[in-house]
Amino acid sequence: MTQAIRAPLSAQVAGIGVLGPGLADWAQARAVLRDEQAYAAQPCVLPVPQILPPAERRRATAVIKLTLASGLEAVAAAGLKAAELATVFTSSGGDGRNCHEICAALASSDRLISPTRFHNSVHNAASGYWGIATGAMAPSAVLCAFDASFAAGLLDAMVQAAATSAPVLLLAYDTDYPEPLRQVRPIPDNFAVALALSPTAGGLARLAIDPAALFTAEPATCMDDAALEALRLAIPAARALPLLRALALGTPGRLVLDHLPGEQLALELSPC
Amino acid sequence: MSLALPPLRVSRYTATSCLGAGLSSHVEALREARSGLAPCRFDTVDLPTWVGEVAGLEGQRLPEQFADFDCRNNRLAELALLQDGYADAVEEAVLRYGRERIGLFLGTSTSGILQTELAYRELDAQGALPAGFHYARTHNTFSLAAYVRARFGLRGPVSITSSACSSSAKVFGTAQRMIAAGLVDCALVGGVDSLCLTTLYGFNSLELLSSAPCRPFDAARSGLSLGEAAAFALLERAPTQMTADAVLLLGVGESSDAYHMSSPHPDGLGARLAMEQALRQAGLQPEDIDYINLHGTATPSNDAAEGRAVGALFGAGVTCSSTKGATGHTLGAAGGIEAVLSLLALREGLLPGSPGTAALDPAIADVAPLDYVLSPRAGEPRRVLSNSFGFGGTNCSLVLARGDAR
Amino acid sequence: MSAPNTATSPVDPALMQEVAQHIVAALNLDLPAEDIDPDAPLYGEGLGLDSIDILEIALVLSKHYGLQLRSDDANNHVIFRSLRDLAAYVGEKRTR
Repeated sequence: MTQAIRAPLSAQVAGIGVLGPGLADWAQARAVLRDEQAYAAQPCVLPVPQILPPAERRRATAVIKLTLASGLEAVAAAGLKAAELATVFTSSGGDGRNCHEICAALASSDRLISPTRFHNSVHNAASGYWGIATGAMAPSAVLCAFDASFAAGLLDAMVQAAATSAPVLLLAYDTDYPEPLRQVRPIPDNFAVALALSPTAGGLARLAIDPAALFTAEPATCMDDAALEALRLAIPAARALPLLRALALGTPGRLVLDHLPGEQLALELSPC
Repeated sequence: MSLALPPLRVSRYTATSCLGAGLSSHVEALREARSGLAPCRFDTVDLPTWVGEVAGLEGQRLPEQFADFDCRNNRLAELALLQDGYADAVEEAVLRYGRERIGLFLGTSTSGILQTELAYRELDAQGALPAGFHYARTHNTFSLAAYVRARFGLRGPVSITSSACSSSAKVFGTAQRMIAAGLVDCALVGGVDSLCLTTLYGFNSLELLSSAPCRPFDAARSGLSLGEAAAFALLERAPTQMTADAVLLLGVGESSDAYHMSSPHPDGLGARLAMEQALRQAGLQPEDIDYINLHGTATPSNDAAEGRAVGALFGAGVTCSSTKGATGHTLGAAGGIEAVLSLLALREGLLPGSPGTAALDPAIADVAPLDYVLSPRAGEPRRVLSNSFGFGGTNCSLVLARGDAR
Repeated sequence: MSAPNTATSPVDPALMQEVAQHIVAALNLDLPAEDIDPDAPLYGEGLGLDSIDILEIALVLSKHYGLQLRSDDANNHVIFRSLRDLAAYVGEKRTR
């Protein structure tokens, strides 16, 4: 029987993209995370994705705008070609606004729902539009693990980079939920982080995971700044903030990222 | 240096669909060319269409301590887990490998969204959701995996793949990579998707629902029939020597169309990439494949594109069929259920027919002269391919084989 | 159902404007409703609409005016030929 490979699982972070409340891009997020600039919580502003053909641009929802902006930023920073990259999309749930409109229509008398809304309702909408925008025909994983979605996506992307020996783009994102869904899923705004992960050296930092001790009962690494810690807890994709801070500061060492209760994801970061 | 992705043994598998609960009812249905489709009587749905509804879910209960997870989708998962000794096999795997060393990778498209659809009918005067509505454990896309993980006390890597109709095929790829990377020794994979109003009225809004039972690859095909199903498999490293009756996952191919959200690439370019990749990983040539379980949704454009892609890669005379006329299109569960039907084809020496299809569409036969199996026939398939393609241009193909046909 | 004889149907300009507004809103078009040329083709070139857009327009107009529009209607090449033809059809078939 083939023996399990127990070497550490590792990947290089080659490029970063960020978009969220008060965080317009990685350059600004980096300054905030390095304490060079105060964090000012402002509603997230979503750019119109000019890269999409006109018909898709008209139909682009927040999920699409969020992932295109953050994903393309990470790809450009890494000097990679989006058309050649495999992707891992991960989000804590479906598009709340779209879902609300569909459920409201289904509860109405005629039950007629918008075909555009329906085709945007699939969890892989962001992946589909990404392909149309960039021409990427490479594999695209589309994951969900509720509040563990960032950690689950990071693990999957690192495994994929190792398995294929090729760079992988991780896109973690969440959009806000409208009432009444917000009562049960209080996500207040949009947040996305994209990491271009490369299996070879030459990035900003190396991430490593011990396959024999994936999860730990230790609590997740928190943010010192109260507003950033609130953001980390409010939006599942923002559970990436402690990793982003370590990348911004170039701090080596162990990080614990929120995954599932009592089972957090432990990783080692070594700046290059 | 990329990791070698060795063949995996499919050590246990099961399926539940409108054809019945468990493998024996599926074998019987395949032999008899029986369809489980019936005129839609689901909930209060008022659409002239046929569906593949699983019987008995109204009475299905979850173990008491998991009552918060109660919804149609998790009931369907529970019903399926109880068939063919599957739950027992998971318990045994937990004892053998440890709960941290078992990965859980499941596919679904709509999960328990039906709960939210029903809750929206009961909003109070202030527009608030009814008390007792549990979003995380019923509606959320992850609720299926959360339920199965809690039920078996699993503590290994976990994720839901939700890429529309390729979801529960792609999870086989996730498991393969996780095992190769040494993160887990065994993986519980599969897919569960249940009927809901979003998909019924949604496909209706796109005018993709047939008003009669669907007719895959037939010239008279006029759209799909929706269904619901659950399929599960256990994947482990394969021993080097295997008996003929063992079954293997030899290859997984994944690709993206990069073309349109709800129409396939007309020549099925993305589909072809996925099939080629699956063959490459399996170390096989097109002529090594004895049967293809097509995606075959019975919409005019999907079948035309898939026919072109299959014809271009496999040439004339490749034996294939779509089983969606039997099960309906079960969306996020389609990849899983069709993987299981493909495994049954290997195990039983049976080439499944295509209920609802009278003849292969001459327009498809012109460009791709397929050996399209209309009625079930005996055969000795040793290696089969299963196709799953979905909205957003997401494609996945699996190569499955008998233990002696590596 | 008989094919609408749109060539000679007089079209209420106010209704045509209203239909144009429905189209702009439903499709999130980046132009004012009054800029839609009443005689330009809706499908393909012209406004650059595709099959999903036609389904979306059919839904919105069906809901608003209480009529039946399906994209597989054999008369659709006439009904959806232009804004003027579409508005004429709505004027003829509306139940509210």
